[in-house]
Amino acid sequence: MIYAPILLPFLAAIVLGLTGTPRQGVIANAALSGLVFLLTLAVFTAPGSGLIHADALGLLFGTLTGFIAFTTALANINYVRGAEPRLTPQLWRLYHALCQIILGATLLGLYADNIGLLWAAVEIATIAATLAVSLPRTPSALEAAWKYFILGGVGIALALFGTMLVYLAAQPALGPGLNAMSFTALSTHAPWMDGSLLTLAFVFILFGYGTKAALVPLHGWLPDAYAEGPAPLTTALSGPMLNLALIAILRFRHLLQANHASGGAAMAPGPFLLVLGLASLFLVGFSLSRRRDARRFFGFSSIEHSGIAIFAFGIGGPAAIFGGLLHMLLQTLIKSGLFIALIRAAALRGSTAPGNYSFAHLRGLIHSNKYTAWALGGAIFALTGLPPSGLFASEFIIISQTVQRNPWVSAPLALGLLLCAVAILRNLGPLIFGHAPPHTKPVKAAPEMHLVTLHLALAVILAFAMPAPVLNLLSSVAGALQ
Amino acid sequence: MTYSLAHLMGGILLLSTFLLLSQRRLAAMITLYQLQALTLAAAAFWQGYAQSEINLYLTGIITLALKGLLLPLALREIVHRFNLRRAVETAMPMALAMLLGVGLIGIAVLVVLPSTMSAVSLTREDLAIALSVVLLGLLVMTTRRNALAQIIGFLSTENGLVLAAIGMPGMPFVAEFSVALLVLLAFLVTGIFLLRIREHFDTLDVTGIEDIERRGR
Repeated sequence: MIYAPILLPFLAAIVLGLTGTPRQGVIANAALSGLVFLLTLAVFTAPGSGLIHADALGLLFGTLTGFIAFTTALANINYVRGAEPRLTPQLWRLYHALCQIILGATLLGLYADNIGLLWAAVEIATIAATLAVSLPRTPSALEAAWKYFILGGVGIALALFGTMLVYLAAQPALGPGLNAMSFTALSTHAPWMDGSLLTLAFVFILFGYGTKAALVPLHGWLPDAYAEGPAPLTTALSGPMLNLALIAILRFRHLLQANHASGGAAMAPGPFLLVLGLASLFLVGFSLSRRRDARRFFGFSSIEHSGIAIFAFGIGGPAAIFGGLLHMLLQTLIKSGLFIALIRAAALRGSTAPGNYSFAHLRGLIHSNKYTAWALGGAIFALTGLPPSGLFASEFIIISQTVQRNPWVSAPLALGLLLCAVAILRNLGPLIFGHAPPHTKPVKAAPEMHLVTLHLALAVILAFAMPAPVLNLLSSVAGALQ
Repeated sequence: MTYSLAHLMGGILLLSTFLLLSQRRLAAMITLYQLQALTLAAAAFWQGYAQSEINLYLTGIITLALKGLLLPLALREIVHRFNLRRAVETAMPMALAMLLGVGLIGIAVLVVLPSTMSAVSLTREDLAIALSVVLLGLLVMTTRRNALAQIIGFLSTENGLVLAAIGMPGMPFVAEFSVALLVLLAFLVTGIFLLRIREHFDTLDVTGIEDIERRGR
């Protein structure tokens, strides 16, 4: 059962890559993504065993990934209809194959119970994402892809070195063989691992997967990749990929923490994570206000939210981890909804090609279409973390835990959050209610705006009225990984 | 015997990475990379014999055939086709790069040796050498402006990783890891990017990358 949602996208990618017109590809992609979403739900009944064995964390984020992939693929139908002439049929085939490969690789990474397999999944996802960014074949897209490839490649190399060091650190506890690469075995035997070697390994893991999670100072690739790639693939679908990297860091952090707490030689992981988290928050806070391109702007906002999650993991303890994971869930929902709306907004103003996403070009959206403007405005407002946004709940948990466990860093955290929120709010007004460019006519809303509403509603429900099964699952994960 | 031979190969690998730092001509850089890959293949065979592990022989064969022979051929072809024979621009003075390289090797040794007291000593020293190669490769990437020279830096980083992997006692997936890394390299080298970048910019210089940032603001 567990193999189905992983294998299906990879097999489908081969078919999508070889045959079909863009119209057929887009329908097949949507149908397949829907099927994978159902399969990720079915995995709850049979989480598997051995190498690929989904724990509660994998199940939860696997379902989220399936859901995002499905809604993105639905919104993609309209996008491809408008953007069809921009790429050759061969490139559209590659585009749809890459959608499926990224989905399959992300699920593989989330479900894998093996540090080597996790690394391979991240590697596949990175290669696919780089190719995706290069698709428009414009000089700036190629430059962005090149930058992504170099930074991502270095990150992958560092992560592999860290993975090997973790294996070496596990030798005293587990001996040679596959067992020393299994997360389940590693986390039960963490106290007997070689602590100092584990610390060294964690530094490499943090910088390796941190590159994929776009933590400052390793974030350079993300804004360019967001701004230059084909919109649905590089923006909406990249949220789950950031989550994969963050979850990898969280799992390795747990090994370090467990070793440290039981008197091992490992250093506490907190300070590393807090520093990277705060650095991300402040860099974004200061650079958001200078961005004129909306996709780049919201790319920076993704860096901010990666930073908040890492900060929460750095604070530690079940409640803060719960807050961090909730934050990741909600931000992924909101951000992918936001990008669906943003693509529609650009379509209202003529074209969804890269370069048509500047705030000046999109301003006064309410004069083009009310529904689109309100949905996009709602999603942007939700990003600030002010109530009634779902992110208010997760940020509240993280801040209150910070005050309790490490009061010294609560002031910089609050300041960083405030800076980012102000920068986002400053752009919100003109974008939605400002004067529209001359000759703007009202246009009908696209059907996928309902998907955006669904995303936002889900984020509010998950934050303020979380269904009991999800709550139990998330609490058990946070308790186990504290 | 096991120690001295493994160390000899590690030493040759480290030395050739260090020479990459000071080498300004692409053709010579490729030759150095080839020397690295051949040494790595020999090291893999030797470790396979010492640990009697069939997987390591496999890694050795892959390294020898693809990295020792095929990749250098492809790289030479790129140099030849695009006429890149002239010396490569560096982003910092050569002496400074060499000094930084010495510093990085020092850091690698200082970091690895104390934190691996419990491991077998062969693994410890191999790991220190491997980390030095990884860091030096990254340094080559940062000191060069030319895309092909950066790739050669990345390739030698990757050699350091494989050196670390073959030195780990009984590590699973070593052959798979080297294949996965090769896929990454293949994507880099088969030239999708190089050819495209060449098409659009008419040069392999990637300093123009700041351009998109200015445009975004």
